[in-house]
Amino acid sequence: MSATPRLMRRAGIALTALALASTAAACSAGGDAGSAGGSTLTIDTSFVVKSLDPGHVYEATGNTAVHAMYDTLLTFHGSDMTKPQPDLATSYQASADAKTFTFHLRKDATFGNGDKLTADDVVFSLNRLRNLKASPSVTVANLTATKTDAYTVVVHAAKADPNVPVILTQPYTGIVNAKLVKEKGGTDGADAAKTDSAQKYLDGTSAGSGPYLLDSFDASSQLVLKANPKYWGAKPKFSRVVLRNMDVQNQKLTMSRTKGAELALDLSGTMLEGLPKTLQQSSADDTFYFLTLNADPKISKTTSNPAFVQAVRAAIDYTGVAKLFGGNASPAAGVVPPAFPGALPASEAQHQDLAKAKQLLADAGLHDPSVKLMYPSITYRGVDLGTIATKVQGDVKKAGIKLVLDPQPLTSFLNAQQSGKVAMRFSPQSLNYPVAASLVNNLAPGQGTAATTGWTVARADKAVVAAGKKVQQTLDPAAQQRALQDWQRLLNQHSPYIPMAYNSGVVVASPALSGAVYAPAGWQVDIAAVGTK
Amino acid sequence: MTATTIEPAAGEQPAARRPRVPTLVRFLAKRIAITIGLLWGVTVVTFALVHVVPGDAATANLSEQALNDPAVVAAYRAKWGLDQPIWLQYLHYLQNLLHGDLGTSQQTGRPVLTDLVQYVPATLELAVPSMILALVIGTAVGMLAAVRHGRASDQVVRVGSLLGLSTPPFWLSLVVLYLFFYLLGVSPSGGRLSPQFAPPPSVTGMYTVDAALAGQWAAAWDAVQHLVLPVLVLTCLTVATLIRFVRSAMLEVLQQDYIRAAYAKGLPTRTVLGRHLLRAGLVPVITVSGLAFASLLSGTVLVENIFGWPGLGQYAFRSATGLDLPSILGVSLFVALVYTVVNLLVDLLYGLIDPRIRLS
Repeated sequence: MSATPRLMRRAGIALTALALASTAAACSAGGDAGSAGGSTLTIDTSFVVKSLDPGHVYEATGNTAVHAMYDTLLTFHGSDMTKPQPDLATSYQASADAKTFTFHLRKDATFGNGDKLTADDVVFSLNRLRNLKASPSVTVANLTATKTDAYTVVVHAAKADPNVPVILTQPYTGIVNAKLVKEKGGTDGADAAKTDSAQKYLDGTSAGSGPYLLDSFDASSQLVLKANPKYWGAKPKFSRVVLRNMDVQNQKLTMSRTKGAELALDLSGTMLEGLPKTLQQSSADDTFYFLTLNADPKISKTTSNPAFVQAVRAAIDYTGVAKLFGGNASPAAGVVPPAFPGALPASEAQHQDLAKAKQLLADAGLHDPSVKLMYPSITYRGVDLGTIATKVQGDVKKAGIKLVLDPQPLTSFLNAQQSGKVAMRFSPQSLNYPVAASLVNNLAPGQGTAATTGWTVARADKAVVAAGKKVQQTLDPAAQQRALQDWQRLLNQHSPYIPMAYNSGVVVASPALSGAVYAPAGWQVDIAAVGTK
Repeated sequence: MTATTIEPAAGEQPAARRPRVPTLVRFLAKRIAITIGLLWGVTVVTFALVHVVPGDAATANLSEQALNDPAVVAAYRAKWGLDQPIWLQYLHYLQNLLHGDLGTSQQTGRPVLTDLVQYVPATLELAVPSMILALVIGTAVGMLAAVRHGRASDQVVRVGSLLGLSTPPFWLSLVVLYLFFYLLGVSPSGGRLSPQFAPPPSVTGMYTVDAALAGQWAAAWDAVQHLVLPVLVLTCLTVATLIRFVRSAMLEVLQQDYIRAAYAKGLPTRTVLGRHLLRAGLVPVITVSGLAFASLLSGTVLVENIFGWPGLGQYAFRSATGLDLPSILGVSLFVALVYTVVNLLVDLLYGLIDPRIRLS
């Protein structure tokens, strides 16, 4: 066709008009741009949440919201993890054998519906949590709650555990309105795992006494909290809080333009680079990244050889690995991150020693050893774990060790890890609750992570086993912290774990906010503590 | 597309006369039977695939600490019926399905049907305007390129559509966000509504419509603003496919003798293009449009993720990563149903556009 048809011209005009209309719509669409006006606080985060029932919650977003809706017996303020502070309990006494803890409740606490909070609610909440046999139940499996009067609760530990008060700061130990939850199908009976049906209700309505109440919850898009008009404590600054599910890249763009009351919870590591200097940042190193080498010779003769483990340990450039995490990441000294009492001082951070690595391999008769390194192919806290694995691969190659990288989808990684058949793996690790001694329960020979690493009591050095027991048996907090440090030094010599770097979660907040402090306690940020300058 | 034939040429004898079920009814009955078989096949394949994948729902949904406690793992498996043999799980699923029960999602704790009712409208709100824009632009530009075959404008269109096809959706999403939200500040960053607005009372599940129905005009306008960027991205991605297809189809028609004859008879260009070229060229275009629309409904996960859009794509992604079998099956069945219905509509449209095509 040679001539330009009029139809085509008209189509062109129509298209131009359409484009202009789209542009006009876009141009007038500058609505929120992160400016949550009035008394609305906006929190941007990549949602990790399935439930807001304290008996089921264990993931990051859920913990953050539940902490704002449900009071606990004790709590932590800001990033200070040294000693639990009063919340619903004004004081407590621990028995000398660390098996009985008596909590005295405040008498002015009420639930969102106006019901008074009493010892019955505490007993119901804690026993329900244990009997639900959900993810957080594991931590309180040894605890039983009873009451002595309407405002006194006794928590019994089946085994001596000086850290019970710390456990009772966790969002999943939040106190629910027993009467209301029972009406909605909740039970604290031994068969709660089968018969409790209150989760659905608690995913839609909060039954707590905290500073906020649940307004709406959609696990895919947003979670809205509103101030609890009957809250017994200081009224929160913001009457409404919106937690928005937002991709990390989008969080960075949003915070870069924010003018209102807004904060982001997932910008850490390299994602912090390029943010405006006016934004506030709060962080605390509460995570460690470590290699785990299987100690079972049936799984790998190479990784089960202690000389090989020590050679890998000596071959790693810890400072270089930490740099890859960006932010305030630092080389690891042990398995306890600096945010918690019991961490080894930075002066004891591990160092690369290639000559030692080569010598260890030569002495053990290991020539050109080759091992597969499995890791989850995810980006965690702004860092692609594949980048770290590649760095480790390059480091140990200089000592003559060949690592074959084996990235796996997260579920496959977890499944393989549970099977105990992985020769060598790399992953991040944080504490189950904010007390470093909890790591012993998981990392000691024969326990959780150790069991999936083939590190049994029989295969472990006796000194390590004894040091772990000493941590668990030491009831004085200061003495326990010293025992923890001794245990970590022994782990560095005799364990199949190689901690490489510490890293932090970060709260990035707009300039006008106050109190936006990163909490390594498990709830990321205390929403009710966020105010304006 | 299937089940279309050209009607018998003039002069051919019709089949023996006897009372017959109308063609359309037979056609629909056959398609419904095929659809039921297809959906059953989807349940079998999906059920098998989920069980072949390493790991199980307990691994994906319990904390690492809990996975080390056999009592907790056993309680989880019992709660969701995962402790039963696979064949029994499947039979229970089928039994419930026949009663309209798609099961309960392990991720949300709600009936899968409730989840679909919530998330599908959100995706429809993106897909429908994207498809309409893509159809209008794709048809017009594709025709323009065909008519101006070999010229500079045709080359520009071809390169443009190639670029569109090879652009990753997440990258384009980030680019438009950077441009319109970060640099120009003329667009919201994501989500369906700004934080200051509460979702309108649900009628259709589409915020723009529901807010308007409730008379919440500020919220409706805000919802429209939030639609602009994701719709823009999805339109760009869909229009690239359509342009190439339309151009190719129109070029083929332009070479037909009857088009040359029409021009030779002195018919105005507008008549030739509007009456002959567009009509004939649209038949194959309908096919690809149907598939593109079905694809928009089922495959917008990356765009939804970047824009924080709580639609079917995000739901499917969460279900897959959580190995949430009831939700995975629910989404699979819905997507299969969408493709089937879209194919059916496309086949019916053939007959409307080209009367020579009849159902069989």
